[in-house]
Amino acid sequence: MDIKVNPTRMELNQLKARHEVAVRGHKLLKDKRDELVRQFLERIRKNKELREQIEKELSAAMARFLLARAVMSAEVLEEALMYPTAKMSLEVDRQNIMSIYAPKLSFKQEASVEGGEDNIYPYGFVDTSAELDASIETMAGIMPKLMELAELEKAIQLLADEIEKTRRRANALEYVMIPRMEETIRYITMKLDEDERAALTRLMKIKDIVRAKV
Amino acid sequence: MPVKGAEYAYAVGRIRVLETRLLDEGRLDRMVESSSVDEAFKILGETEYAHMMAEVESVYDFEEILQAELERIHLLMQEINPQAHLTDLISLKYDFHNLKVLLKGKYLKETGGAMDDLLLPMGTIPLEDLQALIFDEEFQEDDYELPEEVCRAVEEIAEEFEASGDPQLIDLSLDRTLYEMLVGRAKELKSTVLEELFVREVDLTNIKTFLRVKRMGRDRRFLRRTMLPHGRLPVDLFSDLLDEPLEALAESLEKSQYADLADVLVREWQEKGNVTGFEKLADNMLIDHLRQVKYTTLGLEPLLGYLYAKETEIKNIRIILVGKVNGLPMDEIKERLRNVYV
Repeated sequence: MDIKVNPTRMELNQLKARHEVAVRGHKLLKDKRDELVRQFLERIRKNKELREQIEKELSAAMARFLLARAVMSAEVLEEALMYPTAKMSLEVDRQNIMSIYAPKLSFKQEASVEGGEDNIYPYGFVDTSAELDASIETMAGIMPKLMELAELEKAIQLLADEIEKTRRRANALEYVMIPRMEETIRYITMKLDEDERAALTRLMKIKDIVRAKV
Repeated sequence: MPVKGAEYAYAVGRIRVLETRLLDEGRLDRMVESSSVDEAFKILGETEYAHMMAEVESVYDFEEILQAELERIHLLMQEINPQAHLTDLISLKYDFHNLKVLLKGKYLKETGGAMDDLLLPMGTIPLEDLQALIFDEEFQEDDYELPEEVCRAVEEIAEEFEASGDPQLIDLSLDRTLYEMLVGRAKELKSTVLEELFVREVDLTNIKTFLRVKRMGRDRRFLRRTMLPHGRLPVDLFSDLLDEPLEALAESLEKSQYADLADVLVREWQEKGNVTGFEKLADNMLIDHLRQVKYTTLGLEPLLGYLYAKETEIKNIRIILVGKVNGLPMDEIKERLRNVYV
C-alpha cells in the first residue's frame, strides 16, 4: 500500500529526505547485523568447545560420585557433604557487546574457614570412600569453567535476540519502507509532471484562443 | 558347673538359623547379572527382604528397605544378646554419625527438617539425649547417661570450631573419639575378637587415609590429625612416609599382616589412580577375620559375625542396586562387591 500524501513539491522534498535516511539506516543495520552474526558465530564455536569439555568432565565426575554413592549409605554421604568448607561469592557486572549488555560473571572462592583454600573436603576419612575425594576434586575444578559457560551462553542468547531484531528491522526497511517510499516518490513526481503538462497545454490552448480573437 | 558362655546358647541358636537366610554369592551374582533393576529387585524379593518390599512403592526406594533391614537387625541384636553392650560397640558408629549431623546442623543453624532425615535410629544413645547434649545451653552431664568421652569430645569441638570454623574438625575429632572408645572398651571387656577387629579397622583406615592425605598434598600436621589412634601401625610410620614415594609404603608394610593389601593398593593407585580394590579388600579382611571365629559354638563371636555379615550384605545390595539403577557395567559392579560371610 502506498503512503497517503498530497502530491506537492514540499511533500516530495520531505519524502526524498526520508528515503535518504532510510537507505542510510538500512546500510548501517546491515553492517550491524553482519557484525553481530560474526560475534555470534565466534561465541557459538567457543561455546561448543567449552560445553563438550565440561560435559565430558562432569559426566566423569558424576560417574565417580555414583561409585562413591554405591559404597556409602545415603545418610553418611549427606552428612559428609552437609557443611561445605568453601564459600563462593559471585559478582555480576555488565559487558558491552555491540551495545548489548551481557552479564559478566566474576566469582571468588573464599575460604569460609581458616586454611580452607586448599581444603575442599569438608568430611572425615573413616566412613567416606576415596572415590568421593576424586569426585569432589573434579567438581571443584569444573566450577570456573561452568561460570564461563554460563556467561557465554547468556551472551549468545542475547546476541541471538538482537540479531533477530536487527534482521527484522533491516528487512522491514529493505522490502517495505524503501520500496514504498520509492513508489510514492515516483507517484508524486509523475503527478507533478502531469500537472505541469496540463498547465502547459492549458497555456498553449489559451494562447491559441487569444491569437484567434486578435 | 555351668558351661562357659552358656548364656549365649539361645542367641547363637537363633543366629545360626538366621545365617542360613543371608544372601549367598550365587544370589548376589544373579542380581548382578540380571538385565534390569526390576529383575534384580525381584531376586531380592525371594529373600528375607521380601516382607519389607511390600511397603515401598517403587524400585527406586530401595534405600528405605536397606535402612529398615539394618534397623531390624540392630534391634534383634539388642533383643537376643545377653550382653548387649558388646554388640552396642558395633552400633556406636551410628551414634557418632548422629553426633556429626547434629553438630554440623547446629553450626549451620539448621532447624528441623533436612537434618532430621539424616539421623539414624540404630544408635545406642537415645536421640533426645544427643540433642540435649548439643542444643541445650544448660546441659548437665549428670542428668543423662552419656559416655564421658562423647561429652568431652563435644566440648573440645565446640572450642576448636569457634576458633577455626572448619567443619572437617568435627568429623576428624569424632572419628578419633569413636575409635578410642571402641578399642578401649574392647580391651576393658577383654574381648580379643572385638579388639582385633577394631585394631584392624584402624590400621586399614589409616592406610587409606594416608594415601588420601598424600594425594591432597597436605602436610604432616594435618596427617597426624587424621590418623586414628590404637592402630598396630604407628602414626610415626605414616608421618615419615608422607614425602617418600608410594612404593616405600608397600616396603615398610612388607612384614606386617597388611602386606598383600598394601601391594594391591600401591599397584592400583599407580595404574588406575583409585583405591576401589583396596577398599574392597579391606572390608574382606575384616569379614575374613570374623569368619575364622564363626564356628565358636557358644559366645559372642557368631553374633558379631552375623551383624557384620548383615552390614556387608546391605552394602553389597546397595552397590548392586545403585549400579543397576544407573546402568553401571556388570564388571564394575562385580569389582566392588565384598566377600560374603556364608
